Amino acid sequence: MGRPRAFDEGEAVRAAVALFGGRAYDGVSVDDLVNHLGVHRNSLYKTFGSKRGLYLAALRRHLADDVRPLAVALAAAPDVATALRLTTEADLGLLLLAAVERAPADEEVAAEVASALGDLDQAVVDALGVPAELAAGITAAALGLLLRGDADRAGAALAERLDPLR
Amino acid sequence: MALVHIDGEDLVVVIEGLDKLWALKSSLTIPLVNVRGATADPGISADPKGIRAPGAHVPGVITAGTFHLDGEKVFWDVKDPSKAVVIELADERYARLVVQVDDPRATVSLVENALS
Repeated sequence: MGRPRAFDEGEAVRAAVALFGGRAYDGVSVDDLVNHLGVHRNSLYKTFGSKRGLYLAALRRHLADDVRPLAVALAAAPDVATALRLTTEADLGLLLLAAVERAPADEEVAAEVASALGDLDQAVVDALGVPAELAAGITAAALGLLLRGDADRAGAALAERLDPLR
Repeated sequence: MALVHIDGEDLVVVIEGLDKLWALKSSLTIPLVNVRGATADPGISADPKGIRAPGAHVPGVITAGTFHLDGEKVFWDVKDPSKAVVIELADERYARLVVQVDDPRATVSLVENALS
C-alpha cells in the first residue's frame, strides 16, 4: 500500500529467468522464489500478482535479453554453419522449457514462444535468403542440436549439406 | 476449507463448515477485474502472518480470519498448509486471500484461466 518496494524488480526478474530456465515450473516453489530473488513473499505477490505473473515477466525478460539478441545476430549470419553455431551457443533454457512445458498449458506462454520462434525464423530468412519453411527447418534443427548437446559435429555435418544449397 | 468458483464476472470464495465461525465470514465475492492471480503456496503458512483481528489463530491448528501485515489486510482460512492457495487482489478490502482448497492446482488454473 504505497510503501516503496524494497527490492530491485529488474534484478528479481533476472534471477527468476535463471530459476525458471533451469527447472520445471512446478519444481519452482514460491519458497524457492522468495529465497533466490531476495524478495519478501508479500512484495512478490504485490508486484507480480502470482507465480504465473512472475513467470510471464521472466519469460518476456528472457525473450528480450537473450532471444532477441540471437535474432539480431542470426540476421547477419553469412551461412548455415554460423546460424547453427550462434543458436547452439545461446542461452535459451527458459525458451526451450517454456515451449515444452508451459506453452501447451498456457495460451499466453504459447503466444510468446511462437512469436519468439517466428522472429528467429525470420532472421534466418533475412540472413540466408531462403524460403520461410526452410528457415523454420534450420532453426528447428539448431534448437534440436542445442537440446541434444555436443552440437559441433552434428551441426558441422548438417551445415556441410545445407550450405551449398544457398 | 474453502470452495472457490467463478460466477459470471465474480470470483466467489465460500468458507465451509465450522471454519466460517473461526473466520467470521461465510463467503467472499470479488469482481474478477480485481483479481490479479492465484498461486499454490504451501510455504506461506510458515511466514509471519501479522496481527489477527478478528478471527482465530491457533498456531499449528488453524489460521482463520483477518490478519494485518505491513499495512495490508490478508484473509486467512488454512488448517493444512500444503493445500494453501494465495489469491492476490487489487482495490479490495483485502490485499490477498490465503485459503485452503481441496485441489490447489485445479483452483489455480480455474482462477488464472478466468483472468486471461
